[in-house]
Amino acid sequence: MPTSTAPAPVATPTKREKAARQFGWNVVVWNDPVTLMSYVVLVFRRLFGYDHETATRLMLQVHNEGRAVVATQPREQAEVTVARLHAFGLQATMART
Amino acid sequence: MAQVLRRRGRIQVRLNPNEREALLSIIAKLAPQLAAVRSTTSRAYDEPDLQSEFVRWVKPESDRECDADLDAVRRSLESGEDTLPLTEAQAMSWLRTLNHLRLAAGQVLGVDDDDWMEEADDKTRASYEYGVLMALGYIQEELIAALDS
Repeated sequence: MPTSTAPAPVATPTKREKAARQFGWNVVVWNDPVTLMSYVVLVFRRLFGYDHETATRLMLQVHNEGRAVVATQPREQAEVTVARLHAFGLQATMART
Repeated sequence: MAQVLRRRGRIQVRLNPNEREALLSIIAKLAPQLAAVRSTTSRAYDEPDLQSEFVRWVKPESDRECDADLDAVRRSLESGEDTLPLTEAQAMSWLRTLNHLRLAAGQVLGVDDDDWMEEADDKTRASYEYGVLMALGYIQEELIAALDS
């Protein structure tokens, strides 16, 4: 008589993993030496609705580290966000999480 | 000197005829450079096939937005008025256009380092594009302050 094997337990996805699967794409802004810091802060506030403190922290990360992930979104939404950042003259790319 | 004020929720850009003429001249001189600026800021993907799709389907829309911004700023400057009232959306159009023009000036100067201002030599400081970067940066700061007030 064949014996049945219990399926191996599958680890429950963490909340972070679920979010990564749902969204999937990081929007990355890159440093450029011409654009004003105050302008970048304003763009982050207007485009993403970030408060001044969050927008400033992300701007400084771009400035000091050369890049920062400013949003994580589904692909189509990330494309629109990147295009809007380009329209503001910011260097922005997207990459899978 | 150019001024940006906020009155009753409306933003006002005050420019004398010489300043308006100078801004129109900057636009005329640097507009041909904007396509090169857009090509350097329009990379979305590392993957060539996805980037090709992006350039084909998404980039034209942001290019149209940039063209519309530039036209709106040019029309304002050509109105002949010393005081140019702007809605917040129009002020954002101005900011986007000024940033693209600054990027164009920076590209002409070959700016590629965060310390470029401190390291600029006398020849660079005397150049037309350096003056453009300073002047447009000043107006951008004024607009940002008005939007934040």
